[in-house]
Amino acid sequence: MKLPYVLKPHFSRKSTFFPLGYEGAPAELKNEPVKPDFSSFPLPLPSKKSDYRCCAVTDDGAVWAGASNGVTRCRVEEEKKTDRVMFFSFERDLPDNNVINIAPEGNSVWVLTETGITHIELVTFTAEEKAEILLEETLRAVQRRSMVSHKFLAKRGDVSSYLDFGHCDNDGGFTALFASGEIFRYAVLRREKGENAPETLEAKAVASRAVEAVLLLMYITGRGDGFVARSYLTVDEPVPDDGLFFKKHGGKATALETTYTKENGIAGVEIDASAPVPDRLAKLYRDEGYSDDDIIYKADTSSDEITLEYMMLWLYSRLMSGEDEELDDLVRQSARNIMSHILDNNLRLVDFSGESTMWAKWYEDYFNTPDGWVDACLNSAEVLMYLKATMDITGEEGRWKEAYDELVSRGYAELGLKHFDRHVTANNVTNEDFVENIMYGDHMLATASFYILCRLEKDENLLDIYRRAFSTWRFSTAREFSPAYDFPYLAACPDAQLDMERICLWFDRANISRLAGSVTLTGRHDIPVRKYRAGYLEAGAALPPDERFISKFDRNPLEYKNEDSGGAQCVEGCTYYTLPYWMGRYYGFIK
Amino acid sequence: MNKEIHLIGNAHLDPIWLWRWQEGCGEVLQTFRSALDRLNEYDDFIFTCSSAAHYRWVEEIDPAMFEEICEKVKAGRIVPVNGWWVQADCNMPSAESYARQALYSQLYYYEKFGRICRTGYNVDSFGHSRMIPQLLKKGGMDFYVMMRPEKHENADIPAPLFNWHSPDGSSVLTYHIPNGYARDGVESIDEAVGFLGNMADENNCDVMMFYGVGNHGGGPTKGDIEHLEKLKENGANIKFSSPDEYFTEVCASGVDAPVWDDDLQHHASGCYSATSLIKKLNRKAEAWLQNAEKWNTVACKTAGQPAKTEEFKEAWRKVCFNQFHDIMCGCSIMEAYDDVRDSEGYAMTVAATAENNALLRLTLDMNTWLDGVSETKTLNARHHCRNLDYPRPVAVFNPNSFDVTVPVRAYHPSSKVENSNHEPVLFQNVRSSRSNDSHLDTVFLAKVPALGYAVYWLYWGKEERGFYEPGIDSDTTANDSDEITIENKYLTVKFSKSNGAVSSLITKADGREYAEAENFCLPTVFDNTKPDTWAHNIFKFDEVIDTMKLQSIKLVESGKLRSVVRTKHTFGKSIITQDFILSSGMKALRVKAKAIWQEPLTILKIPFPVKGEDGISTYEVPGGFIKRPCNGEEEPALKWGDISVSSDGSRYGVTVFSDSKYSYSCPENELRLTVIRNSIFADHYSDRPAADFNYCDEGVQRFEYAVMPHSDDVDIAQTVKTGEMFLNRPVAVPCGYHKGTLPLEKSYLTIDAPNVIADAVKFCEDGSGDAIIRCREVAGKPAYAMIKCDMLDAAFYSDFYPTEIKTFRIDKDGYVTETNFLEGIV
Repeated sequence: MKLPYVLKPHFSRKSTFFPLGYEGAPAELKNEPVKPDFSSFPLPLPSKKSDYRCCAVTDDGAVWAGASNGVTRCRVEEEKKTDRVMFFSFERDLPDNNVINIAPEGNSVWVLTETGITHIELVTFTAEEKAEILLEETLRAVQRRSMVSHKFLAKRGDVSSYLDFGHCDNDGGFTALFASGEIFRYAVLRREKGENAPETLEAKAVASRAVEAVLLLMYITGRGDGFVARSYLTVDEPVPDDGLFFKKHGGKATALETTYTKENGIAGVEIDASAPVPDRLAKLYRDEGYSDDDIIYKADTSSDEITLEYMMLWLYSRLMSGEDEELDDLVRQSARNIMSHILDNNLRLVDFSGESTMWAKWYEDYFNTPDGWVDACLNSAEVLMYLKATMDITGEEGRWKEAYDELVSRGYAELGLKHFDRHVTANNVTNEDFVENIMYGDHMLATASFYILCRLEKDENLLDIYRRAFSTWRFSTAREFSPAYDFPYLAACPDAQLDMERICLWFDRANISRLAGSVTLTGRHDIPVRKYRAGYLEAGAALPPDERFISKFDRNPLEYKNEDSGGAQCVEGCTYYTLPYWMGRYYGFIK
Repeated sequence: MNKEIHLIGNAHLDPIWLWRWQEGCGEVLQTFRSALDRLNEYDDFIFTCSSAAHYRWVEEIDPAMFEEICEKVKAGRIVPVNGWWVQADCNMPSAESYARQALYSQLYYYEKFGRICRTGYNVDSFGHSRMIPQLLKKGGMDFYVMMRPEKHENADIPAPLFNWHSPDGSSVLTYHIPNGYARDGVESIDEAVGFLGNMADENNCDVMMFYGVGNHGGGPTKGDIEHLEKLKENGANIKFSSPDEYFTEVCASGVDAPVWDDDLQHHASGCYSATSLIKKLNRKAEAWLQNAEKWNTVACKTAGQPAKTEEFKEAWRKVCFNQFHDIMCGCSIMEAYDDVRDSEGYAMTVAATAENNALLRLTLDMNTWLDGVSETKTLNARHHCRNLDYPRPVAVFNPNSFDVTVPVRAYHPSSKVENSNHEPVLFQNVRSSRSNDSHLDTVFLAKVPALGYAVYWLYWGKEERGFYEPGIDSDTTANDSDEITIENKYLTVKFSKSNGAVSSLITKADGREYAEAENFCLPTVFDNTKPDTWAHNIFKFDEVIDTMKLQSIKLVESGKLRSVVRTKHTFGKSIITQDFILSSGMKALRVKAKAIWQEPLTILKIPFPVKGEDGISTYEVPGGFIKRPCNGEEEPALKWGDISVSSDGSRYGVTVFSDSKYSYSCPENELRLTVIRNSIFADHYSDRPAADFNYCDEGVQRFEYAVMPHSDDVDIAQTVKTGEMFLNRPVAVPCGYHKGTLPLEKSYLTIDAPNVIADAVKFCEDGSGDAIIRCREVAGKPAYAMIKCDMLDAAFYSDFYPTEIKTFRIDKDGYVTETNFLEGIV
């Protein structure tokens, strides 16, 4: 495997939508459609050959053909196999799939479909330019007081119509991933352009602000016990009927009335919230005119947040510390606070009641329950990673090392090796196939945990265990050809052999907007549908990112039908491009 | 005792072993009758029974009893296990055979009982390839029960439970029977209950106890059942159960079984070389059926031929039946192999007929017309190639899913051979097998596309001349002096006139010598007096008696297409003749051998010693490959074995291909192909009471092998393809002259990944008209493959895990569903 893999400038698709009758469209759209002759075409086509009803040839020699399920672009001279045939469909590329006619204009086309006219262009960008474009969109339309998850749109398909409010259940975790990408970006630019270069300084500002947003969640509850909030809102934002929210007021916090709190009899419960929020962090909402009493935070935090936030803390400590003493202290103290909370509470994150939250459980009794038996393989690695990362971040051993050694002696490291087999065993009980029962959000948690463990562990025996444990996840992560999984794996296991060309399709073929859009593969003639025993459907091959739905890491990108993904009513953050891109650059996997 | 013993009532039924199949069939009927009676007598009793072939016998012979069985299956009292036609040998059948084992039996179970088997069950099979987990999983099974090798044969294999992984990621939870599959009698059962109770506690895991009179059937007796009931009343933690119930409960309890990601060897190391007849028949029938199905599908889709799905099903069922472990392993009685030969003959007749019909039908649509050909002098001249002034068209059909360039033989000599573009190709007139008519045939170098054909034009040559100049350059030369030397552009091969061995084998690209020892390809006789037919407790056959003595050596052919050296060696009253054939452009030296063997209790091996260090042997196994240490143990393998070594900082080795053998060994750096193992039929633990024994490899046998040297480590993908090509030879079909719509060269299937091949192209078993293409990754690396089949209007991409087998179902509109061996029917 030759590294670094060189990313060449690559075209990205850009669709501009117009209403039927748009006068700027070429008159040829009204001509009798010309049916293409694909009888001897050498490559698979997304539509059935007999279904193609119109075509146009652009200046570059590409044949664009329309069918009842979308537009196909064919140019067998393209360098990469995956670029020789491209497919454009509802709803990111077209207003609907029923193509009536196509007219060429230079290397672009105008497409007449049943409900509108679309101008489709292929615009060439470098991978870095694309990262900048996507970051700009995120900072403009997605971030909410520097938290980055996704934003809903008032107008379908129009990113500029993003709503000002809207929290995400996993704001902390997703923002930590975004921040991690920006930390890598800063490290790369500092190395390549110098610490005082404008782009370096801009990167530092973005990364610092994202880190602050995550750190804020670690203080915002006012509990002062290291408990981390999932997310927070201000009083001007609507509170969804989704879980456990506390409204802060005068050093106290009261559980708001939601279905969850009512069912559990805890609506109106008042708890202490007097611990101060560091000014540096409170600034994120105070600058917008909100006081501490205007804050509503979400509790019942899961291990997802803790894991991803630890990755961010560790990356900050490794790549950014030493330049901002105040932030360095906050990072170190946050790592101590969370770790102390987990150890003080017997390896769990405890909510106001003193009971553990639903998903933040790292103790052995939980591992011996039916749910915990499968979770144990990930959760054991998570808590080991927290301890290892805390030692590295703080430079302290003491309590952290004792706990780490104790957990290792109790078999926590070896538990990670059992992930695949326990998953299969659980499926045998439910009579399901492996992929039918995957919790896709766990992929990134496992990746973060084993990546850090493998980078930090010096004991060869333990390192070997962690690497082997990491590889038990590859059955389900490698098939996604996602550099966000593959690059940490390569950083952890340098001998791994990966298909870099396939993986880097992620950068070549990512859209220049994270505007979401559901995609159904029904009717695709070039991709098998894979049927599992319990009825789940998947694509038989991983499609390029611009031909599958846009999501975070918590979904199966091979999903065959994903009409439930929210469609073009939402714009996602750029993390899923920028994190692997800058990480790959940092480690020299790509350039 | 906290953990439970699940009591698995069963009857091990060998349909053939020390008896013929007719006896086995009767045994099956009697066993089911007995089991049904016991089920009616004892409410808790459950009977576990494998092998769809056995159920089908009952259905055909005693429908009333079959109805009883169906009711008991519905009630969960009879539990079918092993979604395979029989308890097959688990090393020698091809991957496609295992697919058919699952396909025909699981569909049978589904049709008759409304369910398929989740548990694979081969309790007596003698060893298990590492691909078995995938082959089970893709056949709808999650669990597996096996017994051999036992602890004394391989103590490393975990017991009683382990998670068994295949390289593609398939995993089956496997129960390794620790103390026999057929406990019966009070004493035996008591001992087993005690032993298993301790094992359960030690492992903190439920266990299974298999009881019931077995081998020749029988099943649980009244005495056994009543004794077990009494034990239970007395507090033993036991319950009547089935493997399905056991596995489900164990999984639900959250057991952490150890992982095993290797094969399961060795038990009966002699079984992979005993009785060459069944080995050859199996290899040939598997290949022929696969190829015939491909061509039938092509002819059906493109030329209106009827689909022969039902005929193929019956033929495959015969092949599957004969893969029963005691049959395929060559350890049944002599008379049984007469039956085996006949039923394999049935299967191959089905294949031959379907293939011939399809190929001839396709040729009729080829445009082979030549202007003026109808103006020849007489009707006789019009059709009789000897008298024609025109070249005769010969269509060469390639059943492989990749392009091939190989020598092909056609009837009659030729003066010139041209390809479909009328460009000259290399050819040579060679001695035919006929003793009258013309004495020569034409061998020409054909280049044929994947699953396709190419028409060649053969100009008639006169018998008395024989030699014609092809008119193009050739890379083959031969020289007969102190040594005989034959060469092509890749290889220089020399033969010793003193012992008939290959004295030098040099690759021209790097000048490396591969045959430094004196016994390269020299037939060598080994002692076989100690092992029984199975070779119980013996894992190496390495006691050399002698090398065979050279009687003659001769350069018998030397032409532009190929050179042939013939050696004849003797030992005692036995003879082996080997034709070493080096053809133009071939990287392998091919050997056609004929042995007349009359030496009792001997083994014949062909050795391939290579000098170097760090030797690793690699072998083809069903659907994949495995690397093994060079420790001299006899190893089961399919069409090829390889030895690769290091020397002077570089790697190199030789690969040996075989058309019909399954047994190899590799002591240090000497790879050996075991070609004859002449044991007494069904000689069990070598008691050998005085008798005039019959031997399982005596008489005449013909086989072929090939040797291919290579630099670097073995290139698995290329080796697999060479092995496939060695077995699935292109077929030359003489055509008539006619106008037609088909071009003179055509491919029906394209796969663009070099490490993906197609084993099957067939119709779906449900009669829908949908087609099935089954492909597999062969090199142990992930693949992203384009698969294109115009006749099915299908072209698609698919991702493969390393060594993954994928089954694609293609509907009439060319839309593709990825399914498993059961074709999406279940």
